[in-house]
Amino acid sequence: MTGPIRLYMSMSLDGFITGPNDREGHGLGDNGGRLFNWLDDRMSTGPSGQVFRELMATGAVIAGRRTFELADRWQGDHHDGVPVHVLTHHADDGDVPPGNTRFFTDVVACATEARAAAGDRAVMVHGAGAAQALLRAGQLDELEIHLVPVLLGAGRRLFEATDARHIELQLVRRLEDRDVTHLRYRVLRFA
Amino acid sequence: MSRLILYMAMSLDGFITGPGDDKGNPAGVGGMRLQEWLGDGGPEVADFRPSDAQSQIVFDEMLSTGAVITGRRTGDFVDYWGGDHHDGVPIFVPTHTAPADNRHARVHFVTEGIEACVEQAKAAAGDRDVMLHGAYTAQECLKAGLLDVLEIQLMPVLLGQGRLLFEGLPPEHIELDLVRTLEAPGVLHLRYEVRRG
Repeated sequence: MTGPIRLYMSMSLDGFITGPNDREGHGLGDNGGRLFNWLDDRMSTGPSGQVFRELMATGAVIAGRRTFELADRWQGDHHDGVPVHVLTHHADDGDVPPGNTRFFTDVVACATEARAAAGDRAVMVHGAGAAQALLRAGQLDELEIHLVPVLLGAGRRLFEATDARHIELQLVRRLEDRDVTHLRYRVLRFA
Repeated sequence: MSRLILYMAMSLDGFITGPGDDKGNPAGVGGMRLQEWLGDGGPEVADFRPSDAQSQIVFDEMLSTGAVITGRRTGDFVDYWGGDHHDGVPIFVPTHTAPADNRHARVHFVTEGIEACVEQAKAAAGDRDVMLHGAYTAQECLKAGLLDVLEIQLMPVLLGQGRLLFEGLPPEHIELDLVRTLEAPGVLHLRYEVRRG
């Protein structure tokens, strides 16, 4: 029994995951930190604490190259030294990422390796690019959206317009806490 | 005190229609997926009443509003619901130019701006709330600080393309308070109040 590949993202009601002008050294964009106020409760015994503990119990990480670089490569360790699988269009031969990190140019290979590494634990996905690539490849199993009650107005969207195929979801869990609604969706199928 | 309440069904990726919405297909390609929280429909608006008790709460509230505001685009697409959205309450349409021939006695085109439009709708609604429908008009009301409540029917689907509900808003954050969540099979009803100041 392998665990699911699950996206974890904080998103405003209007669909943004950063403020505008996100760049190196400014990864959340202008005032994008608003989306992460719920993390103030990450050590609590309430729902936000539970979600954070689940996130930290994942057995592998998949991230897009952009997210990986904006996060300064997590200095090679996202949490507990679990393997980090980075999706990229191109990896330079001489560019050896730090720690337990590997570059992948093939989405399915990336997902397969991450599942194997995580064993019966879930794989955590972070970043819009990785999420889109995995969705398109049919490799994303679940979405854990931390829906924040704010309209950011501008920034980077989690879901950019893609091909017109519908993807059906099922809401399998809803946890409400201060300043956030944690919505867990299972990816059902392409309609 | 009458409040302005937006009622919109939205996919998790933020769309309120599929791609290619036009007069012949107001919901866009595949966009009818977003209306599946409603009943099967028929000649009367009551035929759209959902079977689920939680969804009925939202539907009944929507149909107890005392006036409707809709955008010109949405309104033209659906011919202003034949001039009667529900119970014969007046329908107000903010627009730059009123059409030369208005066939509907209860449809009022307001050319004096969005604020005047909301003011007239609230006056007509009396102590009842005003229902708002349409993305562009919702954005205009948000920008003008006129929207009181958002009632979102969040549908568990990624449409991938279509018309976004939230677009072109200023980068100043608009803070919301989640005041009610109703969960029904196939839809999550999220009610937000717009925070002032």
